[in-house]
Amino acid sequence: MIEVRGISHGYMTADGTSVFQALSDVSLSIESGTFVSFLGPSGCGKTTLLRIINGLIKPTAGEIRIGGIRVDGPASDRAMVFQEFNLLPWRTARGNVEFPLEVQGIARGERDEVVTRVLGQVGLERFGDFYPHQLSGGMKQRVGLARALGVGPAYLLMDEPFGALDPQIREMMQLELMKLWDNDRKTVVFVTHSVDEAVFLSDRVVMFGTSPGRIVADLAIDLPRPRWTDDEAIKTSAKFIQYRNDIWRLLKHQLNAMPAR
Amino acid sequence: MSEHAASAPVTAAAPRTRGALARWWDRKGLVNCLRIGALTIFFGAWEGASRAGWLDPLFASSPSLIVEKLASMIADGSIWPHVLASANIAGLGFGLSVLVGVPMGLAMGRSLTLRSTLEPFTVALNASPQVAFLPLLIIWLGIGVASKVALVFLGSFIIMVINTETGVEQVDRRLIETARAFMANERQIMLKVILPSALPYIIAGMRLGVGRALVMVVVAEIYAATKGLGYLIFQAGGLYDTAQVFVGVVILAGAGVILNTFLRWLEKRLAPWQHVQAE
Repeated sequence: MIEVRGISHGYMTADGTSVFQALSDVSLSIESGTFVSFLGPSGCGKTTLLRIINGLIKPTAGEIRIGGIRVDGPASDRAMVFQEFNLLPWRTARGNVEFPLEVQGIARGERDEVVTRVLGQVGLERFGDFYPHQLSGGMKQRVGLARALGVGPAYLLMDEPFGALDPQIREMMQLELMKLWDNDRKTVVFVTHSVDEAVFLSDRVVMFGTSPGRIVADLAIDLPRPRWTDDEAIKTSAKFIQYRNDIWRLLKHQLNAMPAR
Repeated sequence: MSEHAASAPVTAAAPRTRGALARWWDRKGLVNCLRIGALTIFFGAWEGASRAGWLDPLFASSPSLIVEKLASMIADGSIWPHVLASANIAGLGFGLSVLVGVPMGLAMGRSLTLRSTLEPFTVALNASPQVAFLPLLIIWLGIGVASKVALVFLGSFIIMVINTETGVEQVDRRLIETARAFMANERQIMLKVILPSALPYIIAGMRLGVGRALVMVVVAEIYAATKGLGYLIFQAGGLYDTAQVFVGVVILAGAGVILNTFLRWLEKRLAPWQHVQAE
């Protein structure tokens, strides 16, 4: 269970004269084993909140409790998947997946075992020796996902993980994520800009609004699982379309309320 | 997994529309032929002009005289003490500059406080002609190996610092954040993210530093030396032995080219995803 309690966070603007309020008094609880999406326009603080949950950013006010324990920095129960993959270019796919294990002082034999297993899970067993610049975007993000899975996290934090991919690859990756997720149903916090993606993947969609960043809606998505076996049926179901329309209406409202750019 | 087949990054062989020889020619042959041609014309003209009496061999020497001189100095072994003396000074001075300059550049790239504090010194040292320090170095360290090593060190060390620091500043912030998210500590971030990422810049710095080191060796050996390539060159110059001057120059140029080529090769091997231009 992730508890977000009264989180506020401000950034100093570039000129150093004022504070940009990225998040203002945000609270929510995320049940273990659920797939939750954070959805909202740019600048609504959803990515900031994800980083605060990870422990990368210390909030100006409020606290995160995970399993009752206060978050005070990154830990091995949480793993991030980044939008831009963030792979080390001088390491092979294997080397990248191995990185967190190495850093955490896990013995070589065990590292090898874990790396082989998670690369297999994301379908890259044959690409372990390839460098990032030799891989396609989708494959790079599989490496990013394998790297996160290798840590054996209870909480998977995904920051627009498919945002940099082609639309077709993106849909394939969504299906595979659902398939993987059905194996162990980890708690996932998934940041996205895409309404369809949020509805298709999630048990719950938390919508954020801007200036200041805050939660504007919190919807349970009651669609049948597994969702990857017949995704077309789900995506064309009346319920899916209803969810999508409801959320889109809320999002449009948010976008209209934003200052003209 | 359907995406794999389509995007598998297998390096496909180039279409076999032209022969292997033609492709080699396109890639390397033409350039190499032009280079060899230019060198042949240059040395041929030099040799010809010298033999025809248009150039006085006393002043300009000639390729055949230089080769002859080099061969005789190798044959009687008189060249080696000079080569070894210079190699020793250059190696020690340059080695020290890497050993001190890289850690210092890493620290300065990482800490704004340290960078701000030391920047006036690095900027001033970089802008000043380090050769001018030689008299001081001789007063402090004597006329032996130490002052020469110190001059070589001074010449290449600042380049190592500045290049390493630039390399550290160029490190993708997102990679550091990623390492931190996976619980890397400062030391691990330094060794596993920053150092490998800055490596192409460090090697580029070494390429510049090697050139500077060779210049400094010659300058140091002009002043107060009884052997070394610098000594050899200037002693020969005083005796109007131009062939011997060129022997020294050729060896220095050869060393520079070989070290540069080696470092370029190292750079491509260690950082195939990136190739930094030395400036």
